[in-house]
Amino acid sequence: MEKTKRIVKLTVNKEIHEIAINVNRTLLEVLRENLSLTGTKESCGQGACGSCTVLLDGLPVRSCLLLAIEAEGRDITTIEGLSKGEQLHPVQDAFIEHHAIQCGFCSPGMILTATAFLDRNPKPTEDEIRHALSGNICRCTGYAKIIKAVKALADSRR
Amino acid sequence: MRMQPFVYLEPKTLKEALIMLDQNKEKLKIISGGTELIPLLKLRLIKPQYIMSLKKLSKLKGIREQGSKIIIGASTTLAEIAESHVMNSLFKGIVDATKAVAAPQIQNIATIAGNLLQDSRCLYYNQSEMVRGGLEPCYKLNGHLCRAVKGGKRCFSVYQGDLAPILIAFNAKVKLEKKDGTKTVSVSELFSGNGKQPINIQEDELLTKIILPLPKKNTGSSYQKLRMRGSIDYPLASAASVFHSDKNGNIVDGCVVIGAAGPSPKIVPMASFGNKKELDNSFIDNVAQNAYKIAETVNNQALPGSYRRKVITVLVKRAINSSLRDMRGGN
Repeated sequence: MEKTKRIVKLTVNKEIHEIAINVNRTLLEVLRENLSLTGTKESCGQGACGSCTVLLDGLPVRSCLLLAIEAEGRDITTIEGLSKGEQLHPVQDAFIEHHAIQCGFCSPGMILTATAFLDRNPKPTEDEIRHALSGNICRCTGYAKIIKAVKALADSRR
Repeated sequence: MRMQPFVYLEPKTLKEALIMLDQNKEKLKIISGGTELIPLLKLRLIKPQYIMSLKKLSKLKGIREQGSKIIIGASTTLAEIAESHVMNSLFKGIVDATKAVAAPQIQNIATIAGNLLQDSRCLYYNQSEMVRGGLEPCYKLNGHLCRAVKGGKRCFSVYQGDLAPILIAFNAKVKLEKKDGTKTVSVSELFSGNGKQPINIQEDELLTKIILPLPKKNTGSSYQKLRMRGSIDYPLASAASVFHSDKNGNIVDGCVVIGAAGPSPKIVPMASFGNKKELDNSFIDNVAQNAYKIAETVNNQALPGSYRRKVITVLVKRAINSSLRDMRGGN
């Protein structure tokens, strides 16, 4: 009988984890269930909503569409990896300051996508922000304040 | 939704990968980016015994110029194509199409070969095992009926890849490799025209590269897409076009392809250009009507087939006009 289980080495938030997992498990499942990093949310499970967004080598991807074993050797950042202890990341601060959080379910994905976007494009236009966040759905429809938070942070850095 | 168990294969060389394909054939599915494959596994529309990863085959990645061709490795991500200088300067329509695929997060990991080789889709087919379990199987599920077209004698599922139409318009080819041989075929030859099995690729073949002939000077291109949201969605109809003029500005060559209008992209018949500098409205209307005639849109997507068919005429006109502007350097 061939093995469907493997030991996988994942680098999450700069920590290395060696975990024995079934190879059919997604990165989302392993983050939440094995590493208890429940900040990454599951919503549609089909790659449509963006709530499971994590950063893979600094780029936002859907962790529900990624086998955990495929993320071996890559640098994974979850929402838990953004803050430094009690000190929040500037994007998190901007979301709080501009009331860009309602139920909060989309927030981890929104914040990670916005963080990666601002790292690559520190002086974006509003249209560019809208495009960058277009793969993240907010069912509270709180888009206006989310865009405002990202724009305000970018403007404050000019 | 959880996937059923499988064995994960991780070849380190192309030769090893081709041997694994040869040994396992229909029992094996290839994972590249995974954004197309994982939903199919979750819905249990496919139940492979083996999943073979291409992540260690670094030679399948990247874009390079080789003589009069641009070679795109099969595992090159859509984001890499969209950011490539050479692609932006020579193949605007392809860049437009990659940026139109799903959402930025998907483009960061989805690959060109995965996008090209995606299966056709249907509202009645792309459903969970539980939903499908309560219904008599359709043609796509090896049954004997079509749920979208009552009394339909074949599968009407729709090929909804964004890249194939524009790659066909640019006359792209693909290299298919297997254990004991390779072949190069045009992208249009990849399509069978049969919704049940839309892609003409053998189970032991691996698509390793996309080959684009360098376009002549004065070439313009465009990709236009109908979707319900500004992001995430598959195309509900699409049109791609490439036009080329000679040094005097006369339009000498062109190709228009429609997508999401049947089980394969379709090349739209066009009359001769007759060495004109402009295409008049009646010519463009005629091409749009030809597209309308060959579109096979039925009620198996989020918008009605009749509406999608009408919109195709609009997309074709927009694609032609946008290509002509791009050809003249106007974008």
